[in-house]
Amino acid sequence: MKKAGFYPKLALDGMRKNGRLYLPFIMTCVSMITVFYILCFLSKAESVASVRGGDIIQSMMYLGAWVMGIFSCIFLFYTNSFLIRRRKKEFGLYNILGMGKKNLALLLLCETVITALGSLIIGLAIGILLSKLFELGLVNIMHAEIPYSFKISLPSVTKTVWVYLLIFFLIYLNALRQIQFSTAIHLLRSENVGEKPPKGNILYAVLGLIFLAAGYFIAITTKNPLAALTLFFIAVLLVIGGTYLTMISGSVIFCKILQKNKKFYYKPNHFVSVSSMVYRMKRNGAGLASICILSTMVLVTVSSTTSLYFGMEKSIMQRHPGEVNITFSLSQDDMTPEADLLLDGVRSEMVDFTKSRGGEVTNLIDYRCAYVAGLLSDGVMETDYTAHSMDMTTDINSLYECFILPLEDYNRMMGTHEELTDGEALLYAVHGKYDLPTLTFKEGRTFDIRKINALNVSGESAVDIVPSIFLIVPDMSFALDGLDRLADYNGDQMVKFQWNYIFDCGLPPEEQQQFTDDLTDILLDQNLRDRTVQFKVADITSREAERYYDYALNGGLFFIGIMLSAVFLLATVLIIYYKQLSEGYEDQSRFGIMQKVGMTKREIKKSINSQVLTVFFLPLAMSAVHIAFAFPIINKLLGLLYLNSRAAFMIATVLSFALFAAFYVLVYRITSNSYYKIVSGAKEGKS
Amino acid sequence: MSYIEVIGLKKTYSGRFGGNKVEALKNVSFSVEEGEFIAVMGESGSGKTTLLNILAALDKPTGGSVLLRGTDISRIREASLAEFRRDNLGYVFQEFNLLDTFTVEDNIYLPLVLAAKPFREMQSKLMNISQRLGIAGILKKYPYEVSGGQKQRAAVARALITEPMVILADEPTGALDSKSSDDLLNLFRDVNRGGMTIIMVTHSVKAASVASRVLFIRDGEVYHQIYRGGSDDESMYQKISDTLTLIATGGDAK
Repeated sequence: MKKAGFYPKLALDGMRKNGRLYLPFIMTCVSMITVFYILCFLSKAESVASVRGGDIIQSMMYLGAWVMGIFSCIFLFYTNSFLIRRRKKEFGLYNILGMGKKNLALLLLCETVITALGSLIIGLAIGILLSKLFELGLVNIMHAEIPYSFKISLPSVTKTVWVYLLIFFLIYLNALRQIQFSTAIHLLRSENVGEKPPKGNILYAVLGLIFLAAGYFIAITTKNPLAALTLFFIAVLLVIGGTYLTMISGSVIFCKILQKNKKFYYKPNHFVSVSSMVYRMKRNGAGLASICILSTMVLVTVSSTTSLYFGMEKSIMQRHPGEVNITFSLSQDDMTPEADLLLDGVRSEMVDFTKSRGGEVTNLIDYRCAYVAGLLSDGVMETDYTAHSMDMTTDINSLYECFILPLEDYNRMMGTHEELTDGEALLYAVHGKYDLPTLTFKEGRTFDIRKINALNVSGESAVDIVPSIFLIVPDMSFALDGLDRLADYNGDQMVKFQWNYIFDCGLPPEEQQQFTDDLTDILLDQNLRDRTVQFKVADITSREAERYYDYALNGGLFFIGIMLSAVFLLATVLIIYYKQLSEGYEDQSRFGIMQKVGMTKREIKKSINSQVLTVFFLPLAMSAVHIAFAFPIINKLLGLLYLNSRAAFMIATVLSFALFAAFYVLVYRITSNSYYKIVSGAKEGKS
Repeated sequence: MSYIEVIGLKKTYSGRFGGNKVEALKNVSFSVEEGEFIAVMGESGSGKTTLLNILAALDKPTGGSVLLRGTDISRIREASLAEFRRDNLGYVFQEFNLLDTFTVEDNIYLPLVLAAKPFREMQSKLMNISQRLGIAGILKKYPYEVSGGQKQRAAVARALITEPMVILADEPTGALDSKSSDDLLNLFRDVNRGGMTIIMVTHSVKAASVASRVLFIRDGEVYHQIYRGGSDDESMYQKISDTLTLIATGGDAK
């Protein structure tokens, strides 16, 4: 007898006979390995590195690869223990027929090795083949070009192999543990052990609802994006906990209530499904909650990255109102009308230079301002955080930025002839509302307010995360009286002064960056400053350059979002599939009995449908609710990433939900079919 | 016309590729009058269970026919077969075949629920039967919480609750201890005396001796039958034992 080939053969045989279980598992392994390799590959690819912003993308890819690795570990662990549970009977039989635990361990080892090698080889092969495609896709999304060459990244291959070998090793240990601690009889019977129907724990259900409510409450009441950043994770944890608790105990209680309603319960299509759901509720609830959480993750990832990517153009326009955006920092002395005349020297320098390049300065936004941050409440702005223990981070919801503009700059820019006297001011609020008749600086003056509805402002202040208020005053030195004496911890003046000069240069896009760079050189010329005022160039950006950068960044995010979502989606499908499969096997004998008692195939199909429908659409419905509540807070968070288009995010969310639901229905069709096949396979069962 | 008539029943199982044909039933004919209690005996592989499955319309015969009050059950369309089975046949299995996701009560309700009977009617029927079978106290329990004898009573209750034409029992005492077996057989006798027709497949001489007639099947044919006539259980037991000995020693006499 050839002993060497015995175990591999037996292992292969066992896997082939359980193809319905193993094939999806191996396919999942393969796709996870493929994705992992591609992410690793991209994080090292030179073509990506050479794109501007590529380094950020690569570190994101790197992070994505690790997320992928950790997720694979958890998920494969979970699915594999399910596989082992299904096969315990077979192992029990081997055990009784004289295979020791050692032999079983050997058999399992063979299986693991086959699975590991098989999926690594196939996964890597697909990964290598697809890597070029994904590289092209990524670089295309980033709006860049790359040379056409095909490469295999050896370090990525080795890394993938090591990571997944480790995961498979862990899986093997877990399987071993499951086999080791059970006797032969236990193994043989494990499939038939009936679970006692769990008692619906009201406390847990209530706790779950409280968690959910708390999470939702945080999500909809958080107004400030910075606060959202920290609160978001708390809300996520609360909602996850709440989902599990309500799904597990809530569903038990729900089914119990259904059972109490005799008229509902004793109907052919409810009877079987409700009772069998009560029976397996505990596991059912956890499975449903997992599906719900995964679906929500997919939806959030897809909708936010897509809206970031597709809302980018608008956000770029908002952040960079002109093709060239320059911010100079000035001192308080430069806020007078006389100083403004000196600045004309700088203006003409820029206009002339633009002309010399064949362009023209148009769509000009040109104003000076003083700005200061402070806490605003009831019409009083408090800015001196050194005075007492004023904490700007905890009072984040009342934090405002205030920009104070000279009236002549306003009139020039807007082409108006407004007149104001000291103590009066025009007010424009960018985010948030300001409806009070006066505004008082605690450390300075009080102004009577007249509201205006439009103002061309610099991109930075328009999309700032903190809401801003613009005040237009006739005399800067009068207006700043008091405020200008405040100093921060470093002894510097707390109020800062700047001059924004924003324009379109009328040059072709590809020349704009060079133009901006050259303009910077001119502005840095000491001669110019000596002739005019001693400004500093605080910031000078070319919209084209920023767009390039943004596409790289958001494109990369979008790409990773889609890839990870695809994997999460796959995981969701697999959980659903295994759930259906395991329940199918468990229900097989039961439906066999029911057929003998006189249930028609049609009735069986009906009952299956009602079961499967619940299992399917409960998590989907719940994740829709989650998404709806998460919408405001995620919208705020996207604001931090400069996406200020609620509509874009709304469309992305609705669209991705619709797509997801369509996909979900497809999965439903397929899995309920395989469930039905298993269940009706019991027809020939012997009595 | 008899209550149940089995005419020239034939069942051939063929292997997967058409080879290895096995004749489970060659030519079985007998008839059953209303209110009879028939035991079918035979060795393993003699075709008893096949016969019962065909009677229960769970399996189709290769040839011959089964007439239930004149209706040929092999002619009933697949779609209405389940309904027919539900309304006319009560099945009691060796392994009880109770669903462990249901309470005992719900298990008994099952066929009525499937027939979409109103709950009120179901309830009154259950009250009746559970009292008669002495399982009123365990209705709210789950199958794994009660003894084998109680499970089988519940299974009998499930078979009886639809008021079927005939009860088909497949080794009903097979998984029971002797005390529970006796109880069950007494129950069957009571039910039979109440007018229910019963056909029971069994190995057990003791079980068979309760019947009013015993059919012996051998090699797919009815080999012999014994009528109780006026004899009591003990002499019936003796007769059956003798016949079985005769079959085992290979006697060919009919």
